[in-house]
Amino acid sequence: MKLIKSIILILITTFSFDLYSQETKRIVSNIQDLVLDVDDNFISSSIIMDENDNELACNNMIYYSRNREALQVNNETGEITAILPGFHEVVVICIQEGGKRLRSNFTVNVNYPPVNEIKISLNNDILYTQSYIPLSYEVIDEKGFVRTDVKFNLSSSNNLISIDNLNNVKALKAGKVTLNASFEGISSSIILEIEKNPITYIELESNTDEARTGDVFNFKAIAYDKKGDLISNAPFDFSFTGKSYDKSNTASGLMQDDGRFVGDVAGQYKVTSSVGNVSASKIVDVIDRNIKRKFKNIGTGTVNDKHTSDFWVFEGVDGRDYAVSGTWGADGTSYFWDVTDPSNISKIDSLQVDARTVNDVKVSEDGKICVISREGASNRKNGMIIIDVSNPYDVKIISEYTKNLTGGVHNIFIYENHVYALSNGEKYYVINIEDPYNPIEIGKFELGKPGQSIHDVWIEDGIAYSSNWRDGVYLVDVGNGIAGGSPSNPVAFANYDYASGAHHATFPFKSKSTGKFYTVLGDEIFPNGIDVAGQNVTAGFLHFVDFSDLDNPVEVARYELPGDGSHNYWIEDDVLYVAMYTGGIRVVDISGDLLGDLYKQGREIGYILPGNKDGYIPNSTMSWGAQLYKGHVFYSDWNSGIGSGKLEPIKPENSKANIN
Amino acid sequence: MYKFTFLLFLLIHSASLYAQEYYVYVTAESDDEVSIIKFDGEKALEFKKIPVGVWPAENEGPHGITVDPNGKFWYLSLAHGNPYGTLYKYSTETNKVVGKTKLGLFPASMQISKFTGLLYCVNFNLHGDMKPSSVSVVDPESMIEIKQITTGSMPHGSRLSANGLFHYSVAMMSDELFEIDAVSLKVNRILKLSNNSSMGDKMDHSMMNHSNVKPTWVIPHPTNNKIYIAANGSNEIIEVDKDSWSILNRFSTGNGPYNVEISPNGKLLVVTYKSDGTTAIWDIESKKELKVIKNTRKVSHGVAISSDSKFAFISVEGIGGEPGTVDVIDLKKFTKVSSVNIGKQAGGIAFWKISN
Repeated sequence: MKLIKSIILILITTFSFDLYSQETKRIVSNIQDLVLDVDDNFISSSIIMDENDNELACNNMIYYSRNREALQVNNETGEITAILPGFHEVVVICIQEGGKRLRSNFTVNVNYPPVNEIKISLNNDILYTQSYIPLSYEVIDEKGFVRTDVKFNLSSSNNLISIDNLNNVKALKAGKVTLNASFEGISSSIILEIEKNPITYIELESNTDEARTGDVFNFKAIAYDKKGDLISNAPFDFSFTGKSYDKSNTASGLMQDDGRFVGDVAGQYKVTSSVGNVSASKIVDVIDRNIKRKFKNIGTGTVNDKHTSDFWVFEGVDGRDYAVSGTWGADGTSYFWDVTDPSNISKIDSLQVDARTVNDVKVSEDGKICVISREGASNRKNGMIIIDVSNPYDVKIISEYTKNLTGGVHNIFIYENHVYALSNGEKYYVINIEDPYNPIEIGKFELGKPGQSIHDVWIEDGIAYSSNWRDGVYLVDVGNGIAGGSPSNPVAFANYDYASGAHHATFPFKSKSTGKFYTVLGDEIFPNGIDVAGQNVTAGFLHFVDFSDLDNPVEVARYELPGDGSHNYWIEDDVLYVAMYTGGIRVVDISGDLLGDLYKQGREIGYILPGNKDGYIPNSTMSWGAQLYKGHVFYSDWNSGIGSGKLEPIKPENSKANIN
Repeated sequence: MYKFTFLLFLLIHSASLYAQEYYVYVTAESDDEVSIIKFDGEKALEFKKIPVGVWPAENEGPHGITVDPNGKFWYLSLAHGNPYGTLYKYSTETNKVVGKTKLGLFPASMQISKFTGLLYCVNFNLHGDMKPSSVSVVDPESMIEIKQITTGSMPHGSRLSANGLFHYSVAMMSDELFEIDAVSLKVNRILKLSNNSSMGDKMDHSMMNHSNVKPTWVIPHPTNNKIYIAANGSNEIIEVDKDSWSILNRFSTGNGPYNVEISPNGKLLVVTYKSDGTTAIWDIESKKELKVIKNTRKVSHGVAISSDSKFAFISVEGIGGEPGTVDVIDLKKFTKVSSVNIGKQAGGIAFWKISN
């Protein structure tokens, strides 16, 4: 018994000591409270101390930086190189015998380099009294970093201007004044010459007094002096207030600096143009756009045993109308449909290839060749399959092509005997299929930067529009001639990207009503991740980018459906047909100038929510794509297959048919 | 009395035997799922299915999977990204994501070192250009990628020595075996597998060409100084001596040896023959192929062996719309004792635990 007690006592003592010693050992490092300047190098030295401050050996020490772009750390020696200013963490791990590990985090403060220069620039040379002065500032430090965190002080040489707490500067009196900006001993100044506001009267005109929601008003302000003479280049400010006709709704709109205004909601809006304390206002009426039309689902081609992916509707060589659709996460099947009667869509053939996903399908302009993409092939060669669809009732594989496409082809496009096939989500290859039995790779396009990625490519008029996620859209000459490109020598000539980095599809669009050229860039965002067996939350919208000036594209409008995200879409005759995933198929009027939030403006003509009780996931809308074809809106839906819808014609206001 | 005691002993003993349950994590690469397989000694079943990834309309390809040495977390590489893949950390208790970090192109197989506690994952870059890729080293506690160590073209197989001090991977398209010091995070040695020549510590990728050996997996022996490599292209198992850093033997195998694992007791080598749809069991000491077992379907992929060395769990991809399958092989009887279907393209597989 005594022996047992002794053993227990020894065990307890040993265990307690081990616990205690583990808790009290610590890493002591000269990284503690380390302060460095950018580009400094520092030799780390770290030791282990026990609870009595005795130094213990550590033969295996690993260092790393939690932000390698800001602070480089040699994993073995702990040598630190400061790259970017800010507070950065270094993790030190000591691995003791038996793999016991101690770790500590140390924060390194890399000083911001001293400010070297404050640049002040004036955005408009004409400064009138009682106006806010349009100034821009740029603070640059000694290492060339542009600093946005610096709260510099502004002061003036006299009382001709006022400076508020947010550093807004207002011209009070006419005369010359020096504005000083200073920070930590560095200062710069600009001389402002303020004129007495010569304007006594502003005339405000608009191209119309009344317009529909979404239509753009063009306001023009003209300034006169007390003699009635015109003042040119007056620095007008534009603003608006409004009241909705619907008392429970909020008037909203968008006012641009150049005098363009769009109202989202029907109501009365007062637009004001001002220079200093002289202003003029004009009230305009915004009426309902009133473009809603009945949009009915008229036919379905149900796929009830797997997810459906992309589709394409085409005229066959026999003059009848057909469609091909792919499948997702399944068995490599694609389906062929007779859609000549859109209300009676019938499955006429199918083709199974070694793949899990046939994500994209396209058909040549002459209706003879279909190309389908492959992902998840069992031999991991993927690539694409070229199919003879001369007789869509009996389609036949012509050839398989996998060269450089083994990483999976997510999207493809056929244009003038060439297939543009994405490879591994990084680039696209151009493959000549004049002889579809012997496709030949003749070119490729890639951004050539680390982390390059691509989701889609679409060709029109010899220009390839590639959707490159965070790098945005690239316009590439593949035969148009605008930049000397060809299919074998694709040449990029324009680009636009945006902050979210979710750019997944592009459709070029020349407005019939305005002649403006846009690219419509679609997001793909799943904020909550995935639920393959149920309803998903989707997000993202379509960005309308005015590309009329290729060198200066401007994002002017968006189509954002609250609660539902965008996927694939089609534009024809100033009408957008868009699959909004969980939001179904939406038809949107995009005629006229485009500005602001198109959904809020009531531009939506109609919608349908595909899905049926026999779907793969019953009664669950997850619309993939839309295509206008011979007056019908065809679509594919992830959960139910393909279908067609029809917009009813616009009925005249006095039509008796409107009386239900 | 003795009879009763003996019967009681038998009862308790047999009860404990039959109560043992084996748990394995396995990926379904074309369904973006991970399944937990439970095997009670006789029958395997899909105990739980866990959807992974964040893009419903994109296949993200869960490829590599491992369970940390204490069994509290499992780690999953999603091969596809924009363009970089992602490493996810899940709790084995809840099977919920608890951390993630971006890795390189097509991150694949991985393991955690018992010594450093760090995770080493090869960036397979399966479909990229034939150029050197890397091994990502991640601190699983912070889920920070510490370093990318440049190795060869299409590195695959990521296994650590039993003491956790050295990491081994093979470069499929440059026919190289890499040894990385798990502490200094530097390449220690490279061995050319096609011509038996050691390259020492020099990395010369001018020799990189289309490989005929196509090594796809490497496993160091748990107790001795040997390393075994699956040579997918030349249909061999290559035996390497760690001490002399040279090839000792090349054993001819079935078609397309792909993954290879050694039973924890160090006796058996279990190899999937991907092209044949079979799994082979080799006796390490006698260097003999003891048995080749037909898998349930085609495209045999990964191997995980239970910690008691009794069972091997084989992931079998299948083709097209076929489900993936996990075959369970009894390592005493050398027979397939159970199969269970999971999502499409069963791939990475990791043994988790035995519970009573």
